[in-house]
Amino acid sequence: MAGSKKEMVRRMSRDALLTTLALALYVLEAHLPPPVPVPGIKLGLANIVTLFVLFRFNEKEAAAVLFCRILLGSLFGGQLISLLFSASGGLLAFLLLLLLKRILKPSQIWVAGVFAAMAHNLGQIFMARLVLGRPEVLAYLPLLMISGIITGLVTGITAQILLKRLRGVKILQD
Amino acid sequence: MKTKYWIIIIVLLALLFGGLYLVQRHNARASQVAEIWVDGTLFKRIDLSQVKEAYTLVVGDLEKGSNTILVEPGRIRVLEADCPDLLCEKQGWLPGGAGPIVCLPHKLIIRMGEE
Repeated sequence: MAGSKKEMVRRMSRDALLTTLALALYVLEAHLPPPVPVPGIKLGLANIVTLFVLFRFNEKEAAAVLFCRILLGSLFGGQLISLLFSASGGLLAFLLLLLLKRILKPSQIWVAGVFAAMAHNLGQIFMARLVLGRPEVLAYLPLLMISGIITGLVTGITAQILLKRLRGVKILQD
Repeated sequence: MKTKYWIIIIVLLALLFGGLYLVQRHNARASQVAEIWVDGTLFKRIDLSQVKEAYTLVVGDLEKGSNTILVEPGRIRVLEADCPDLLCEKQGWLPGGAGPIVCLPHKLIIRMGEE
């Protein structure tokens, strides 16, 4: 059945649903008060979905879910400039994830959460440096990356548990 | 053999805390000159030790967005802004805090400059 029209529709509906879930998490998180008053620090709950899709399905579908969520999330968030930061962070994180998917075992998926979050923070702060035209913002790099390790642990461990627990759910099988 | 990723992560964490310490030490260096940068250009330099009375100044306009900055003897902060996240307000006073005050939506930076 692989490649048939029915299969394509099934995948598309499933990925659309997962994108919606990621968006809901993204919007929910935008309404939480920021934990620290530093631009760029957040939980990144939507990345649980990205990790899930990447490790359960494939790279192509994870990229689609990630970049649709970033685009729609910035539109809903009302801050178009945040699209630049999300996209640069998201791109760098995704490139690293492509590599990590090849080397990590199922019991090590949490590691992908940590390194992807750090890559995201790195991409986003360099974009902020470009946008601001001044290097001051780089002073926040250590703080941002430390927060990335912590939030990445949370999202990574969550994704790893979900991948294990939701193994039997039929609509989430490839 | 399983790679021990947690060791790599702990080492990275230690390096980052080292970096954080260096940044904090750099911030703590005695300077009384605040610089306000907007969109990559220097908007104003204020010697905070020369400020006798508190005053506010407005950077930007209604169209591009504005930040109201409060200058007091020896310290400076963003009092009000019409940016969406208001993180610049919450970053509090300079000198002090985690680093320079940054308002990303308005491309505003307040930093402690050289004497």
